[in-house]
Amino acid sequence: MFATERRRRSAYLYLTPAALVFLVFTLGPAFFVLYISLFNWNFLNSALSTFVGLQNYTNLLTSSTFWHSLAISLYFVVGTVPVGLFLALVLAMALMNQFAGRGFVRLAVFSPYVTPVVATSIVWIWIFNPQFGLINGLLHMAHLPELGWLQSQRWAMPGVIFYTLWHSLGFDVIIFMAGLSGISADLREAARIDGANRWQEFWSVTWPLLTPTTLFVLIITTIGSLQAFTQFFTMTAGGPMSATTTTSYLLYELAFLFYRTGPAAALAVLLFIIIAGLTALQMLLSQRRTYYQ
Amino acid sequence: MPTKKTTALVMASTLVGVLAAGCGSTTATAPTPKASGPVTITFMEAMSSGTLKPAVQALVSQFENSHKNITVDLEVEPSYSVLETKIEASVTAGQAPTIAQAYEDWAAGYANSGAIVPLDSYVNGSNGITAQQKSQIWSGVWKDQFLPDGKIWMWPFNKSDFVLYYNQTWLNQRGLPVPTTWSQFASDAQAVTSSSANTWGVSIDPGSSSGAANGTYFYVSLIRAYGGHLMKNGKPNFDSTAAQEALSYIVHMYQNGSMKFGSSYPGQTALGAKHGLFDLSTIASYYYDQEAIGGKFTMGVAAFPKGPAGEGNVMQGTNIVMFSSASAAQKNAAWTFMKWLSEPAQTAYWATHTGYLPVTKAALPLMTSYFNSHPYQKIAAESLAYARPTPPVAGMDQGIGALANAIQEATIGHRSVATALAAAQSQATSDVNSAQ
Repeated sequence: MFATERRRRSAYLYLTPAALVFLVFTLGPAFFVLYISLFNWNFLNSALSTFVGLQNYTNLLTSSTFWHSLAISLYFVVGTVPVGLFLALVLAMALMNQFAGRGFVRLAVFSPYVTPVVATSIVWIWIFNPQFGLINGLLHMAHLPELGWLQSQRWAMPGVIFYTLWHSLGFDVIIFMAGLSGISADLREAARIDGANRWQEFWSVTWPLLTPTTLFVLIITTIGSLQAFTQFFTMTAGGPMSATTTTSYLLYELAFLFYRTGPAAALAVLLFIIIAGLTALQMLLSQRRTYYQ
Repeated sequence: MPTKKTTALVMASTLVGVLAAGCGSTTATAPTPKASGPVTITFMEAMSSGTLKPAVQALVSQFENSHKNITVDLEVEPSYSVLETKIEASVTAGQAPTIAQAYEDWAAGYANSGAIVPLDSYVNGSNGITAQQKSQIWSGVWKDQFLPDGKIWMWPFNKSDFVLYYNQTWLNQRGLPVPTTWSQFASDAQAVTSSSANTWGVSIDPGSSSGAANGTYFYVSLIRAYGGHLMKNGKPNFDSTAAQEALSYIVHMYQNGSMKFGSSYPGQTALGAKHGLFDLSTIASYYYDQEAIGGKFTMGVAAFPKGPAGEGNVMQGTNIVMFSSASAAQKNAAWTFMKWLSEPAQTAYWATHTGYLPVTKAALPLMTSYFNSHPYQKIAAESLAYARPTPPVAGMDQGIGALANAIQEATIGHRSVATALAAAQSQATSDVNSAQ
């Protein structure tokens, strides 16, 4: 009993520094953002700030800019999450097979993930350059129409999605490969003995047992997509014509370009609620169809 | 074995330690030197690269030699964006510098918050400048020091404006004139545009809702050359006839293929690659344009062409602001330094060593030999006579983003000029109202 109490106290003692850092640098600022969101906040002289209640929230919720940014964020999530999940799963399954050069292909798929987003997105700006870029050069050689890419209202977001998939797919592939490695070979062998073909084996054994991994990747990539900022900052700056102004980018614009601190704080709170709500919904819906060995 | 008291004590001391570390920067106050004797002032600036850093250091050294009782501590930041962040952080923490470089819209925000002081009493005081000295400051630069309340809130430092860079070899080969009017510019641009040769007149970055780029400033210059103004009666005036005519001009060039859009200084890239005939950029880009060209052809520099209502140009660069938290002695010393920096000898030194422009016409006679070897600098300096900054109004930076959007709406968005500008006007009005 005495030893248990001592261990408990020691545990709290060891947790204290990390808990305090979390409190001071994460939890505290988060609550401060909530507080600021209720003010017309003067960041240079907080004494001049005025309490406006929920005005910042109502202004945002009635502004077309906010809803437009949400639609753009949704476009980005739909373009990266389902497509990314599908591609990552296909690649992971392919890379689990034995073939010559497998190590090199695995390296090639994963290596973009460890490159800095700022540096590689600048490279991709040049790849997408309408006049001098590689992609339009290839389209020209193939006698196909050249596109405006990042300068085009229609093609800017597909361009950013393409870059994001290129950059982040490696991580999802690794997670799926880890999930596939964890599935007992006995179960697949049993299915094959029972006469299942490769598709039936995948659909009835592999896929159900991979659902915890899929749920993890789904949640992580959805949160990541809703928070994505760097590639928008470097590649498009939210343009052209706000075609890539996601909610995260709008938050940056309000907070750090236009210094409208109160509305930016309100937007941060709304974005948190949206991400938390979506994550909860995904977990709720997925729990019914998640199987564990 | 830790006791309950010991555990509580460790936790409490850790909490105090972390909070003290987090709050340490807020407890200190601005230094308050004695009213007489040596005074130290801090100058937060972003002149950190190339020839800029040694030029500032040399000027400070000269100043300290001639003003033995004043020490100037430079707080050098790597870029304007970092400078802006550091100024805000230091003001919020109660540790503002004595003076700092600032753009006009930054100054408007600082003035609204009481972070900076107006300079009228210094400029017009016993240690101020004479009417003759005032008249020598370029009129655009002089007007740039005021905020809409009519007070002087800034003092000029590093100024530049836009010029026209062109492929002189190409113009000569085609027998085309160096454009002196925007209509000549458009006809030159169209004359070299060829889809088979993949050549065109000019590439611009139109900017985005996040803010202006060189293409946005070109449009603002064009509005002015058509006789328009960005503000009228204290409100945005983005849908004026002049703004519509100027945007129609851009749409026409975009549609006939003589103007293309890009990002990251596309005009410089196209000019250097011999695909574009012109580049519209500030005089500070001279070195970078020459680098892009790499000796492949001769580059010419000309003043921005005239429009139906005359010249139009946008002033670039920053001014110096003085923070209210400084002591009276520091403020007096800071004003002495600011005034000294803008005097003919110092502004001429600054211009000849950095490529920025002298803030006063009185410096021109001191720069004769420099202008002989750098004639393009004289072109840019003379353009300061009519260059104007974007209006120093809170929210205007956001409004200019709406103007950038209008360029794109009317070109790649295929909306009518009137519709695009009506949307920009509405957005800018809302932005400016919200920021007040």
